[in-house]
Amino acid sequence: MNNKLLDKDLVDYTLEYAKNKKIEFAEARAQSQNREGIVLKNDILEAYSTVVDSGLCVRILTENGLGFASTNKWTREEAKDIVNTAFKMANSAKRKTKIKFVEKKAVKTKWKVQQKKKIEDISPEAKIDKLMEIDKTLTTQGINIPARMLSCSIALTQKYFVNSEGAVISSFIPSIGMYNFITVVENGKPEQAYKQYGYSGGWEAHDKWKVAEDLVREAKALQKLIKEGKAVSPGNMDLVCGPEVVGIAAHESCGHPMEADRILGREMSQAGKSFIYKDGSFWIGTKIGSDIVTIIDDPTIKNSYGYYEYDDEGIKARPRYLYKKGVINEFLHNRETAAKIGTKSNGASRAINYDREAIVRMANTFVQPRDMSEDEIFEDVKYGIYMKSFTEWNIDDRRFNQRYVGREAYLIEKGELTIPIARPIIETTTKTFWTAVDAITKTVVFDSGTCGKGDPMQGMPVYLGGPMIRLRGVFVK
Amino acid sequence: MSEMLAKTESVMKKGISLGADEVIAKTTLGRYRQTRFSNNEIDISVAWNDYVTDVMLIWKKRVAATQIRNFQNIDATMEHLFKLAKVSKENPQYGGVAKGNFKYAKSTADKALRDLEDPSQYVELAINTAIEEAGPETNTGGILFTKFEEVFLSSSAGPTVQDTRSAIELSIRAFSAIDASGHGVECSSTLKNFDPSKAGEKAGKIAKLAKNPKQGEAGKYDVIFDPLFWGSLLGSYAWMSSAFNVMIQMSIFANKIGQKVASDIVTLKDKPAAYSIANRTFDDEGHPVGETTIIDGGILKTYLHNTSTAKLFKTKTTGNAGLVAPRAWNIEMDAGDVCRDDMLNDLKRGLYLTNTWYTRFQNYATGDFSTLPRDGIFLIENGEIQQSFKDLRVSDNALKILGNIAQVSKERQHIHWWEDANPPSLCPYVHVKDVQMTKPT
Repeated sequence: MNNKLLDKDLVDYTLEYAKNKKIEFAEARAQSQNREGIVLKNDILEAYSTVVDSGLCVRILTENGLGFASTNKWTREEAKDIVNTAFKMANSAKRKTKIKFVEKKAVKTKWKVQQKKKIEDISPEAKIDKLMEIDKTLTTQGINIPARMLSCSIALTQKYFVNSEGAVISSFIPSIGMYNFITVVENGKPEQAYKQYGYSGGWEAHDKWKVAEDLVREAKALQKLIKEGKAVSPGNMDLVCGPEVVGIAAHESCGHPMEADRILGREMSQAGKSFIYKDGSFWIGTKIGSDIVTIIDDPTIKNSYGYYEYDDEGIKARPRYLYKKGVINEFLHNRETAAKIGTKSNGASRAINYDREAIVRMANTFVQPRDMSEDEIFEDVKYGIYMKSFTEWNIDDRRFNQRYVGREAYLIEKGELTIPIARPIIETTTKTFWTAVDAITKTVVFDSGTCGKGDPMQGMPVYLGGPMIRLRGVFVK
Repeated sequence: MSEMLAKTESVMKKGISLGADEVIAKTTLGRYRQTRFSNNEIDISVAWNDYVTDVMLIWKKRVAATQIRNFQNIDATMEHLFKLAKVSKENPQYGGVAKGNFKYAKSTADKALRDLEDPSQYVELAINTAIEEAGPETNTGGILFTKFEEVFLSSSAGPTVQDTRSAIELSIRAFSAIDASGHGVECSSTLKNFDPSKAGEKAGKIAKLAKNPKQGEAGKYDVIFDPLFWGSLLGSYAWMSSAFNVMIQMSIFANKIGQKVASDIVTLKDKPAAYSIANRTFDDEGHPVGETTIIDGGILKTYLHNTSTAKLFKTKTTGNAGLVAPRAWNIEMDAGDVCRDDMLNDLKRGLYLTNTWYTRFQNYATGDFSTLPRDGIFLIENGEIQQSFKDLRVSDNALKILGNIAQVSKERQHIHWWEDANPPSLCPYVHVKDVQMTKPT
């Protein structure tokens, strides 16, 4: 995989050309990516795809507005053309309310993610064989799994960022992901499951993941669910959520509503707004959960799927304490939203490629662990549900009304897990969910996801995670 | 032959010269413009100029694909691709690509969309119309997007063809209050047929009606789905119509060809016609596109196929080849025989749902799902809006909903919105009996 596709001189030239215009701010950002995708449908290799992509963009702020243009043609003529286009578009906005970017000290730095087993050294055959091996393990368990899709995606991403304030940042992130989907059929009844994996680093990801083991365990759980699963009698009861459920809840009902661009309305016609807004019932300092609930978004977790050291506006990454001890604490910001709200950017500006505007995004969102063991969390549950994983889920566009449907779930009776429960549902509000939390275990487990936001859509790699949490007396149906 | 078609052909020929059995190269020169706005002002204007050649190369039933975006060393890229195919595994289900010399419809892309430099006037028109409808305090946001693509395809199996494709679409959401909103979209393949004020008017009207919403009650309702909402559901049905998704059981339609899957009044087609924003004259194998009836009078007639999946299902390609898997282009539901106003007037008690998002399935094979209505949710009694609701969820089954369709309107609208109402569609208002609604507790 060749990765020498980024002409830094041309990026510098683009910025210099932009600086000659009547601008308030300009940045040029280049990105090259070597991507590979392998799709195994049942035991058949559907296709092996490879993409070498590289291009650059410029974002220009003038007194009239903001303009953005990109190209994948690496010529001076094209560079001038995108600057002229972005400049013209910025001025055509004719805004009454001026856009400002919050002040920051320009940084000159380089950073990269190390690989223990370089992806470039792994042959295509070895990559295919890895998927074949996983599929073979899965299909030799005596479980009827008529539909299986295993896919592996690889990206070697090089970025170069410069702006008119003097920032110069180079980076390199290798990453690898897997997405698996299976259908188990028993007695003519299908049940389905999917799971995603992600890692910033090299091929050693496969040593850390236990994909085959996880899939086999999942298939057995689905089989058992079909054979033995019972419906829950709806009512108020205790609910223990496994890390997968905790992760999605943290992402959907804490991470998203805390994105400052949503709060300010910039995403109103797509992903929506937030239940948090100025002069509303919820703002910084408002209680949203029980005292033990702290939810963090942290891009600096080594080898995480959402890892970065500097965001796509050149701001140093750091952990963001979104909900802290049950209180709304800190929004996710880029430079524009921070200026509007009167604070500093906390480095949440991300773009998936050179042809997309960087917008406010999560990185790795999780519930902070506490000190309880997994056994202890079940101990004093007289009657309840353990929702280990989820299938269907969704949340409204204010991020308040949400629903999680259990995939693997069990009845808890007198502190013991008894029978499998088929698709238990919690459909509740953000405040009810987080306020009901009375116990949190001590070990965080992360899942990987691709967070959707932006128009055009920018699927962003993230971690979602947490320990196990216990909700007291919530309605489960 | 145009210079770009010749260049595309040279990529294809390079693959063949290396020893590939079949090669398809497709070059797209794209000119995309987008204006994003919120709080009644333009946030950013965006321009993409894209130059990409997609290549699919087959050697002894081994399929490798690439996108060329760096054209400095095409030979090396093709050599790498060919090596990849050689070390890849045989796909026994690979059944070839479209062969022959086909006749194509004439491309009718609108050059006015290529030449449109400053679309901000259309944004202003939509915003102003929404504000006129919903009042001076109305807050709007949305996007205006234009596309002009020149597409060149060269296949070793015969097709050598070019096309131009154009589209303009506007999406606007209007808030008359923090908890009262409406959404409108306007989609067209030509500038002259594009009227952004229609979207603004609709968004404003719904936003005004949606004021002072109350928590709705859970239960079964007769529901009238607005085309914008129905476009989202059609997107799910379209996705499940792809033979690829049928094969991996991510579809309610698996093993149901020839069976009744919807009420008698449902006819569903894929039709990337000139008037659609998904307009095209050929698919990614160079096979002509056309009108494919997926559901006819409630009976499932076909899946959407490329040449390979068609062979597996012992049928002919429907002209829906994507580069690897078949996909829908533009889904159309046949118009019904009732006016939209009569449909609403005749509703004794039910809901009118204007938009939705976040549709997720528990099980794609059985079709159990839920989706979150947003913008106006209205309780209708005796044909009149009685109350604006909030915080209700459709929690039902995709097959059951198709089967419970009681009325389809004469009026239809071109719909495309973000990721939720995708692919584009031509949608009527649809009246469905006994839809299960749930609420948070």
